[in-house]
Amino acid sequence: MKTPALPMIERVLFTEEQVRDRIREVAAEISEHYKDSTLKLVGVLKGSVFFLTALARELTIPIKVDFLAISSFSNHSGSSGVVRIAKDLDEAIEGEDVILVEDIVDTGFTARYLLQNLAGRGPNSIALCTMLDRKSKRIVPLRIDYRCFEIPDRFVIGCGLDYQQLYRNLNFLAVLKPDRH
Amino acid sequence: MAVVTVSGEPGCRTREVAQLAAQRLGFTHLSAERLEAMLEEEFGADALHDARNWADMAGSLLLRAAVSSHLVIGVDGAERIFRNFPALFRVRIVAPAARRIGNLMLDDGLDRAAARVALKQRENQLKAARKSRFGQATAPPASFDIVLNSETLDGAQMAALIASGVEARNLTEHGYLSPAAEAQMQFQIRLRLARHGIEPRGVAGVKQVAFGHPSEKTFASLLDFYRIPWEYEPRSFPIAWDQQGRVLESFTPDFYLPESDLYVELTTMKQSLVTKKNRKIRLLREIYPQIRIQVFYQKDLEEMVLKYSLAEEKVQP
Repeated sequence: MKTPALPMIERVLFTEEQVRDRIREVAAEISEHYKDSTLKLVGVLKGSVFFLTALARELTIPIKVDFLAISSFSNHSGSSGVVRIAKDLDEAIEGEDVILVEDIVDTGFTARYLLQNLAGRGPNSIALCTMLDRKSKRIVPLRIDYRCFEIPDRFVIGCGLDYQQLYRNLNFLAVLKPDRH
Repeated sequence: MAVVTVSGEPGCRTREVAQLAAQRLGFTHLSAERLEAMLEEEFGADALHDARNWADMAGSLLLRAAVSSHLVIGVDGAERIFRNFPALFRVRIVAPAARRIGNLMLDDGLDRAAARVALKQRENQLKAARKSRFGQATAPPASFDIVLNSETLDGAQMAALIASGVEARNLTEHGYLSPAAEAQMQFQIRLRLARHGIEPRGVAGVKQVAFGHPSEKTFASLLDFYRIPWEYEPRSFPIAWDQQGRVLESFTPDFYLPESDLYVELTTMKQSLVTKKNRKIRLLREIYPQIRIQVFYQKDLEEMVLKYSLAEEKVQP
């Protein structure tokens, strides 16, 4: 399928076909690793929904799915408080094999907090899977168990990644033009 | 002055709790790394070899800091420094070994076997340090006002309990330590140090955080939000010397993140000044290849705030 030309896009990073193929490869790795267990994918709202869905469809093992969301940072008041779970998992994960699914990991702030939070709930194992890894912006050291693509230091949209809540539904990954953000 | 000491078993994320408690109380946080750097600056590296003087040296520094700050000291054994001090709140953090091994696995990226070994090593190091500094390898529960279990309490909850304890004890009602009281206490300490030929230089101190730019405050708030411990401008690196070896130019990165052992420099100035700063960063990387530094430009910070926030406010350039 031809990737459409859109005015806000500087260039396409990965086409729909490249994204699909890579997700299939990562799904095969996960299916092999967890072939003897029941896996639970935990998605982080909202960005990971698109990637988690695509990944889940390619997995060949039985899985459960759950979602959580975290509170947003506000720079308005002098004290911004601390991050909290805004929407918790619907079910416990004690004794389960869990993969935290992220759309993108850059600084590692969110992933670190969520991994620590989930680890405290007694899962059998916990791993991190991300569609995109913007390693050049990493602040917090993290072990990423599964990644689809490492990307350059650019603003990327599509496949769940947004700019001001737009463009999540693009089925390819693209760099937003600098003058658009 | 009020002093909160936070000691903990290895793998309990004691540092994070101390940082959060300081943030909640509005106290100055002193981590083990920061105190060690101050001790070296004040007394020189040689004086630190004899651990028997450690408590007096640390006490001398901390008393000076207490004239202008209330303190949260996240240093193992710090409760022994101020043993007879009335406005003291001593906290101990514990957890079962399985939880602490799990924390090390996550924080240091270790597998379970390696984390178990690392935990044992850290326990032994901690015991050895206590033994050499205070003559006792362990810390009996009666040495503390409150013991918190990090298996059932997360960092924010423990910080809240510490803040409640400080409030319940009215620790801040007497204000900071008066200069006269400090001088009297310093006199006793200096007498003891003088017997070992140690004299404070009077150079090291706790810097109050006064951000040079609004973007630095924003970045600090973002780190606080994600409970990432940080220090503001803790160290300057000489990057140019004259022929006599005198320092001509230094570079002071904005933040140090001890958990990541990473310096962060925010560059939010005009392009003409960015070039100068980039030169300094390049020199820092050449001269100190072991130092890890991450540079964030104006657009990076805006993107971070945008990503993690409700996008209500742009960072001012």
